[in-house]
Amino acid sequence: MEATAKYNRGNPAVKRILQEVKEMQSNPSPDFMAMPLEEDIFEWQFAILGPRDSEFEGGIYHGRIQLPSDYPFKPPSFMLLTPSGRFEIQKKICLSISNYHPEHWQPSWSVRTALVALIAFMPTPGGGALGSLDFKKEDRRALAIKSRETPPKFGSAERQKVIDEIHEQMLSRAPPVPQLLTNETNEETNQLPASDASDEHAHKAVGGVNTAGSNSDSVNNDLPRPDSESEIVQHIVEGRTEGVSNHSRANLSRENIPRVAPTPQNPVVAIQKPKHDRLLTLAAFGLTLAIMALVIKKFFKINGLAGYIEGKF
Amino acid sequence: YDALRRTRGDGNCFYRSFMFSYLEHILETQDKAEVERILKKIEQCKKTLADLGYIEFTFEDFFSIFIDQLESVLQGHESSIGAEELLERTRDQMVSDYVVMFFRFVTSGEIQRRAEFFEPFISGLTNSTVVQFCKASVEPMGEESDHVHIIALSDALGVPIRVMYLDRSSCDAGNISVNHHDFSPEANSSDGAAAAEKPYITLLYRPGHYDILYPK
Repeated sequence: MEATAKYNRGNPAVKRILQEVKEMQSNPSPDFMAMPLEEDIFEWQFAILGPRDSEFEGGIYHGRIQLPSDYPFKPPSFMLLTPSGRFEIQKKICLSISNYHPEHWQPSWSVRTALVALIAFMPTPGGGALGSLDFKKEDRRALAIKSRETPPKFGSAERQKVIDEIHEQMLSRAPPVPQLLTNETNEETNQLPASDASDEHAHKAVGGVNTAGSNSDSVNNDLPRPDSESEIVQHIVEGRTEGVSNHSRANLSRENIPRVAPTPQNPVVAIQKPKHDRLLTLAAFGLTLAIMALVIKKFFKINGLAGYIEGKF
Repeated sequence: YDALRRTRGDGNCFYRSFMFSYLEHILETQDKAEVERILKKIEQCKKTLADLGYIEFTFEDFFSIFIDQLESVLQGHESSIGAEELLERTRDQMVSDYVVMFFRFVTSGEIQRRAEFFEPFISGLTNSTVVQFCKASVEPMGEESDHVHIIALSDALGVPIRVMYLDRSSCDAGNISVNHHDFSPEANSSDGAAAAEKPYITLLYRPGHYDILYPK
């Protein structure tokens, strides 16, 4: 496989993936880490930190990414290996960034943007999507604590080596699961169930402000941070892609209707006047009106065909 | 019109038609000034995308492959190609898709750069913001193109495009003429010469599809 990979360096997909590897190494993020296998550059192992101020905080979640041979025109597939209560393990997950929805994928996205999106998707409800789960918050916290203790066991020895290496580095960076926050959250849950939702909204607003602040204040000093934070902002937009697509489709169907509507209006108008007059005198002429309508329709069709034929000449 | 050249109907047909028609035009005219002009335009588009926050390595491959095609249709050096090879090249799935993606990036960058101009059309079309429209209807492969896309691509590259419409709108008039519309970068062009030029790319539109037309 190494020989094949080297031989295929002319392949644009390989070139693109190598560029992403370099970019990942030169701009490491505190929230995730990813690297390809040595023997197969199209398969990556990754680990993400649970998003802050959520029941996943402090957790280290491992997974595998499989890039298609015609990347970046087709989306990769994602598989989680650490139990999280949000995604099933060892099963490809369904997101707008994964290969379940190739029509939503954009070549301007990359592994980095996909991982940022994955972190952002964790607190969202699974909604019955393929590979999604909806555990209780307490169970998810327990899984987050457990996820730090040992990395998952998966695949060949080389894969396990990469997984262990990633796990060690993530442990050295990651803050512990917030115990005090756990207690506070339990109290809040007992007293006011709605307060969690309001906290999440407040956090999102604060997050937005922080992004704007950091961009304006420290653009020159902290280069890596604006990148990752702007990507997070992008994914808030990207999360709505499916909604936008639905709107687009609805509008497409609406556009078809107006094109058809003008045509029958003309015969209808022509019919209504004689219909009104004759109805007052002789109801039996209804059949004649129907025949006239058919003749008018055929007349329009003939005109249309003539237009097309002469247009081509 | 003399002839019609069919393109594959996969949602990228506007960009594929534009690509082949433009490269063929350069091949026939060997207009070096035009090539230099469009290379400057491409550099501007690249800068626009970088300013909009796109990571450079995600789009520079698409740009470089189109520039390769552009330079290879000019005669006089080792990598020159003829009409037959141009046809083979554009039939190559990889080359063709990369150039289509290049045009999609150029279109997206132009729409976002002049968001205030395009926003009314986009709001009426899809009821979404300019950025959402670009992400949902311009950048993904296989999304069909409409007036907004054609205006943006024509303006961004400074290339006039004529589109002949074979749809029901030409039947209502009751005559045998076919509607057409010229997309000219006249209003925004800094080059007076390009504005006055007659469109040398002509496309035939039937609902949901574009093909290339060759004038007599």
